[in-house]
Amino acid sequence: MKLESLVHARLDGEITPEQHAELENLLRGDWQARRLYLELADQHARMLQQPEVSTGRLVPSVTSARIGRRWRQGVTLAAAAAAMVALALVLWDEGAGTAEATSSGVAMLSQAYHAEFDKDGLRGGDSLAPGRLHLAKGLAQVEFFSGATVLMEGDAEIQVISAWEARCLRGRVRVHVPPAAKGFLMHAPGMRLEDLGTEFALNVQGGESAVQVVEGEVIAHTEKPPVSLKQGMRLGRTDAPFLAAGELQALMKQQETRRHGAWQDWFKQACRDARLIACYDFSSREDGGWDRRVPNLAQHGAARSDGGAVGARWTQGRWPGKGALEFKRPGDRVRLHLNGTCSALTMACWVKVDSVDKKYNSLLLTDGYDDGEPHWQIHEDGSLMFSIAYRPAAKPGKFNQMYFSRPVFSADSLGRWHHLAVSYDAGSGEVVQYFDGAEAGREVSPLHKPGRPVSFGACEVGNWGLPTVGHEFPIRNLNGAIDEFSIYNAVLSPGEIRSVYEAGRPE
Amino acid sequence: MSENTTGTENLILLLSRHQEALFRYIFSLVPCEADARDILQETSLALFRKLDQYDAARPFLPWAYRFAYLQVQKHREKSARSPLWFSEDVMELLVRERIPIEPQLDERLRLLDGCLAMLSAREKELVTCRYALRQGAEEMMSRFAMSRRTLFRNLEMLRQRLHECVTRRLQSEGLS
Repeated sequence: MKLESLVHARLDGEITPEQHAELENLLRGDWQARRLYLELADQHARMLQQPEVSTGRLVPSVTSARIGRRWRQGVTLAAAAAAMVALALVLWDEGAGTAEATSSGVAMLSQAYHAEFDKDGLRGGDSLAPGRLHLAKGLAQVEFFSGATVLMEGDAEIQVISAWEARCLRGRVRVHVPPAAKGFLMHAPGMRLEDLGTEFALNVQGGESAVQVVEGEVIAHTEKPPVSLKQGMRLGRTDAPFLAAGELQALMKQQETRRHGAWQDWFKQACRDARLIACYDFSSREDGGWDRRVPNLAQHGAARSDGGAVGARWTQGRWPGKGALEFKRPGDRVRLHLNGTCSALTMACWVKVDSVDKKYNSLLLTDGYDDGEPHWQIHEDGSLMFSIAYRPAAKPGKFNQMYFSRPVFSADSLGRWHHLAVSYDAGSGEVVQYFDGAEAGREVSPLHKPGRPVSFGACEVGNWGLPTVGHEFPIRNLNGAIDEFSIYNAVLSPGEIRSVYEAGRPE
Repeated sequence: MSENTTGTENLILLLSRHQEALFRYIFSLVPCEADARDILQETSLALFRKLDQYDAARPFLPWAYRFAYLQVQKHREKSARSPLWFSEDVMELLVRERIPIEPQLDERLRLLDGCLAMLSAREKELVTCRYALRQGAEEMMSRFAMSRRTLFRNLEMLRQRLHECVTRRLQSEGLS
């Protein structure tokens, strides 16, 4: 009988003792047979455990009642403490139908230097699902969830198979495998490389593979019996030099320094803009964080408009050496006071949002919510939310003009730097919202009436509201960091927002 | 006392999160589902008793597997006469080789749901009867009007096709 049939007979409890002995012999002699057995046994066990997922035809309660009954028998037999454990298992069964957030990623693109991929929009920090990755130009590093990393130089193409397996189709790559990822498999034309830890370089050109072990040991499976390659050993022929390790790090560092320098030049210039009421760069202080002043760097800004950081800690911004303020705790905030009124506004900031975990997550809000006062927040669904209040003369009535962008924050955009901007024209009533320099929403509120001014007064960045004695305040603090914040008394055009974004892009 | 309570709650959380994986581990080593369920329950008790030895800084599953493996061996000794248990050397191989490929096994299960959804209505019915309703062979033979041989042949082909579907998806899943 075939191996597969023997395994299935065992799973169905239909196997005879003779067949079982035959199966055992096959398993004993061949690791691939054992792997197939484990895969089929796991598949069977999963269907036994979660049949309602399997077909979608059954109400989950049917199965949990069944299993629950089994477990309740256990409860009567076991000690009280164990009953708690068993109870948890029953509860778990009932909860099995509620879906947890999932991701199909098995690796991530951790670094990219001047990288051009055939797939648009791919950038550092993105998760990679199994599939092909073609790097046309530049350098890129892929970190597999097993811990293995693959550095590749364009033009190169790899196929991500799983967290433990990849295939190099062409180009020069360098594979690093820490002890935790021992056993990582790299396929290449004519060979399969099993890394027993540490590092090797691989060139695939014209369907031919060549490998050199930099450190540690690699088992190379070819059509011949497997060979062990140790440090310095090489297999296959290649004209091209192997890819060097330090290259990407050095280039990334250079690039960061260059980008940071270019932004500093631009920022100096931008602070001279006559429309700018306030701008803050959140440079880290040299006194170890005791100075809580956040100076307003706008040259035409109002007097005494420096901000004060409360709670929020200094942290690293878009580049090493660039400061930012981190908002984590319910008290963290930057206090501002901006006098005067205006007929339009634009707010822009660079923010790294770690999670959108509250109903409203503050960017900038005025202390109260009086006529003409703006509130700028991230809504729980990941959209940007701008609102401004004008109470009608005859109360009560609708007074809250609210504008939502499309959702822009999702699992993929959390944890990295993004540029957010919003403009409001008190004449036309139009609000335009931007995410990374591109429009994410444009609308006029039905409540809009032209000509009502905008004013800030006491407000804060990253949080909302000074508690008054004896009153609780809603928790709206941002969970993330901000490293640049600008407020203008005019509407910036989409082109201007685009160039602000381009000038400040981290990479 | 309060420390003890926290420990129990912790274990409940850990168990509920990992119970499914623990069941699969045990199931791969024993002859049938009923054995696996019993052993899972005994393992939960053993884990509860040895909870003070658990180092929360380390992953839970490898620690729990050691207890599960001991319970499996206990059961095997009790039913040593049954020819449907694997010998110790084969069991050792399965246990040792499982750990490094566990991420791939999990990956396969993730794709399994999609493959199940592709089954025809009749195949789904077969899955429902066998797995959700836990119907016995006789019941299913009369329901589907099949001989015993045909029934198990059909189940085998169905699971084999699911396995192939998952393998294919693993290989060809595009970037998305």
